[in-house]
Amino acid sequence: MNRYQFEDLISEYIDNELPLGKRKEFEDYLNNNTDAEALVNSIRFNINNVKGLPKVKASKTFNDRLFDKIKSKPDGIKSESPNKWMIAGFTPIHASFMTGLIMAFVFISIQIFSPSLDIKNSKTLYTTNEKVDDNAFRDPINVKDNSNSFLTDLTDDSLSVDSITQLKKDYSKKIQFVND
Amino acid sequence: MSLNRQQSPFVYTDEQLIARFQSGDERAYIELVNRYRDRLINFVYPFFGDFEQAEDVVQETMIKLYEKKHYYREIAKFSTWIYTIARNLANTELRKKKRRKTTYISRMTKDDRQYDIPAVQADLNQNLQNEFIRDRIHAAIRELPEHFKTVIILRDIQELSYDDISNIVGVPLGTVKSRINRARLQLQAELQDLK
Repeated sequence: MNRYQFEDLISEYIDNELPLGKRKEFEDYLNNNTDAEALVNSIRFNINNVKGLPKVKASKTFNDRLFDKIKSKPDGIKSESPNKWMIAGFTPIHASFMTGLIMAFVFISIQIFSPSLDIKNSKTLYTTNEKVDDNAFRDPINVKDNSNSFLTDLTDDSLSVDSITQLKKDYSKKIQFVND
Repeated sequence: MSLNRQQSPFVYTDEQLIARFQSGDERAYIELVNRYRDRLINFVYPFFGDFEQAEDVVQETMIKLYEKKHYYREIAKFSTWIYTIARNLANTELRKKKRRKTTYISRMTKDDRQYDIPAVQADLNQNLQNEFIRDRIHAAIRELPEHFKTVIILRDIQELSYDDISNIVGVPLGTVKSRINRARLQLQAELQDLK
């Protein structure tokens, strides 16, 4: 047992809450450390002082004042009954509000973190609904004027390897070899 | 309402009394008030160090008991329930008190600032010395952080079990043990000159 373990167990030792094995270990530590024993005695002394504090008693008029307060309310103090229509401790209104919040949270989380949401899908959505300039998605170096081929490009994924290869193929056709 | 202010000869348990009160027997309420008023004042008093304020909080607790009697379910001990109400009301009152408190050290007089510990002399009257020790202990308890204060009062003044304290405070048993231990170590550091 080290010093930290000893300090953690002081209260349980004083309150007789330690199991026998731990208690023996604790007492062995106490016997070998005089300052530890002094600390335990000092804490025990303080506990006894706290326990020995004089008990205060309610004033003699306590009940009279209490009952006067209860009676002095316009219709007396009404005893409230808990709402019988509770769902997991919530009233129906609060329960439906909480359910709505949880559903919204789950929906937003799916939207943000779903692995199926890729660039291809998002591009398609943009191009079909808002007709964003398709060139904006292309590699600026390999871009060519294909504004008339908007519909054919809708199925292309500008970032995919296939489309880049396709573009390269188109350029290669224009290369002419000159015979010496 | 016919509140009889005389003591009634109930020998029921607290749980039986609250059950009777829930069925409309107001004598059971009076018996519960008689059983718990002193215990609760002793629980609340160290938080405030002011008897009248402590009594007000206990009165509020008893009114809550009257109003909310149907909220009690016999899944917990009645004592746990009533202590929890008192603790919550005391905490609310303490928060209000903290907001109201605007004492500036710079505006204090020299006498306010100094906290002289009288030398313990042989000829000092024993009563005075005891009173001094009591004041020191109360002051040291009040200086403890809120969560330490509650457990130390419940354990060393109210002498409740670790399990009951765990239920009242609403934290696991291990946390209660740890808090009690740390609170006692802190008190020991504060009061080590009392020998």
